[in-house]
Amino acid sequence: MARQGELRVEDVSKQFRVNGSELLVLDRVDLSVAPGEFLTIVGASGCGKSTLLRLIAGLDTDFRGGIALDGKRVTEPGLERGLVFQEPRLFPWLTVAQNVALGLLNAGLSKAAKRRAVLDHIALVGLTAFQDAYPHQLSGGMAQRVAIARGLVNRPGVLLLDEPLGALDALTRARLQDELQRIWAAERITMLLVTHDVEEAVYLGDRVVVMAPRPGRIAASFDVARPRPRDRTSAALAAVRSSVMTALEATIAAQVFDTPRGAPRPMAVARDFATAEGRV
Amino acid sequence: MQVAAAAAPPWPSLPRGGIAFLFPLSLLALWSISARLGWLPPQILPAPSEVGSALWDLAGTGELASNTAISLLRVVEGFAAGSALGLLLGIAMGLSRTTEDYVKPLFTAFAQVPTLGWIPFLMLLVGIGEPLKILVIAKAAFVPVALNTFAGIRAVPPIYAEVGALFRFNRWQLLHRVVLPAAVPPIFTGLRYGLTHAWNALVAVELLASAEGLGYLLVWGRQMFWLDTMMGAMIVIGIVGFALDRIMAAAEQRLQSWRLA
Ligand SMILES: Nc1ncnc2c1ncn2[C@@H]1O[C@H](COP(=O)(O)OP(=O)(O)OP(=O)(O)O)[C@@H](O)[C@H]1O
Ligand SMILES: [Mg+2]
Repeated sequence: MARQGELRVEDVSKQFRVNGSELLVLDRVDLSVAPGEFLTIVGASGCGKSTLLRLIAGLDTDFRGGIALDGKRVTEPGLERGLVFQEPRLFPWLTVAQNVALGLLNAGLSKAAKRRAVLDHIALVGLTAFQDAYPHQLSGGMAQRVAIARGLVNRPGVLLLDEPLGALDALTRARLQDELQRIWAAERITMLLVTHDVEEAVYLGDRVVVMAPRPGRIAASFDVARPRPRDRTSAALAAVRSSVMTALEATIAAQVFDTPRGAPRPMAVARDFATAEGRV
Repeated sequence: MQVAAAAAPPWPSLPRGGIAFLFPLSLLALWSISARLGWLPPQILPAPSEVGSALWDLAGTGELASNTAISLLRVVEGFAAGSALGLLLGIAMGLSRTTEDYVKPLFTAFAQVPTLGWIPFLMLLVGIGEPLKILVIAKAAFVPVALNTFAGIRAVPPIYAEVGALFRFNRWQLLHRVVLPAAVPPIFTGLRYGLTHAWNALVAVELLASAEGLGYLLVWGRQMFWLDTMMGAMIVIGIVGFALDRIMAAAEQRLQSWRLA
């Protein structure tokens, strides 16, 4: 059987209506993610990373182009695609365990199996002692870990993570990075992780995609062909990091010359990166 | 240590439950003094002791209990019917724009006519028996419950519904797992308003068309110039209304235990 989780984003454009005028947020985004690939996405704030994940999750179907998972067109949310939102979005009236359990409401498991899965995933994010706490009793980082547990509990074939570790301290972040990596390796799931941390993107990704803003588009893509487990301090990773950083800075530097009156956009820089796939 | 000393309040603090009695007790004291010094003629403001003994007499004959029971039953029936309908309509309008478009204009017009304004029409329709009282009370409770439920459901942040959509909640799961829990505070605000309005309506309708009940006791006391009886009835209405409101508050707190936990 072919491994599941092949994601194709074909020529996707997305506009929002803001104060009566159309704002182009994603401009012909083309992206292919292989089954079991760990793809990380970096890009300036507002370049459409969350929007892209929402489209893939099926929460917003008002876009041009096509998104397909294993050849099947995405038209609505599905349990085979999990999303961890940029903010935790826990229900304040439910405990940690109840919040995680909601992810399994329609999973078709037995009560006992659900309970086991919930406890396992709470343990995974290190919150067993807090399973009966309410969200307002958690710190921001703890709440985000609950959200990760809720996103994982269904064991989706494709997991979309929107800056899931942004609110964590360096130690917890490193631990959860390794946990994510472990889960990804054990489950062979396809992961798309958005982050603003280039180091994280390079450490975790098989491939790092750099997005450019206004309109959001893919500016560059870097393969990180390093075996795992990886050494955070290795020179090879550092080299990729600096290429990604340069590409990212170019997309932001281009913004400085971007005139609001719709003068020709400095696309050239971004196009150079799109063709020159950095390889290590 | 100095910090701790500064933080302590300069006067002995009362337990919070005790504070609630401070104001009523001062009023009672003021009332007693006023009666003693004759600030108002006793025909207008009888002494608290007289009101107390009038209540005692009423209680002794069983009139107080029977009238209170009748009024309470009317409120409970009318409030149950009115708030149930209000909840249903509020939920229906809150969930569906189509329902809102169809029903909201008529509902708004209906709500604009004060409860008292409905009494003459309802009298013609159902006479002055029990159904009139129940209908008037139900109407009084219905409007605030429907309005607050509707507004509460509309105010549920869409980010919650998105989480439900992500996990493929069906309409029913969305309603009882997400929308209703998120709307508990405004719904309870509506229920408590509804209950207050129900008591107001009860007294109004008993004043106009009844031979029993606390409202009737009130009119009767006034007509006979038994102002102590009248005051007694007012106090009992206030106390029963207060007790019902506390019951609602306790129910809300149970549903909202996560806020206190
Ligand atoms: N519902 C919406 N209506 C109108 N505009 C929106 C909406 N959602 C997003 N946008 C706009 O789309 C653009 C991209 O937003 P998005 O949230 O995808 O950015 P992002 O890359 O995730 O940024 P960040 O790193 O800050 O999270 C922004 O300019 C934003 O203003
Ligand atoms: Mg975002």
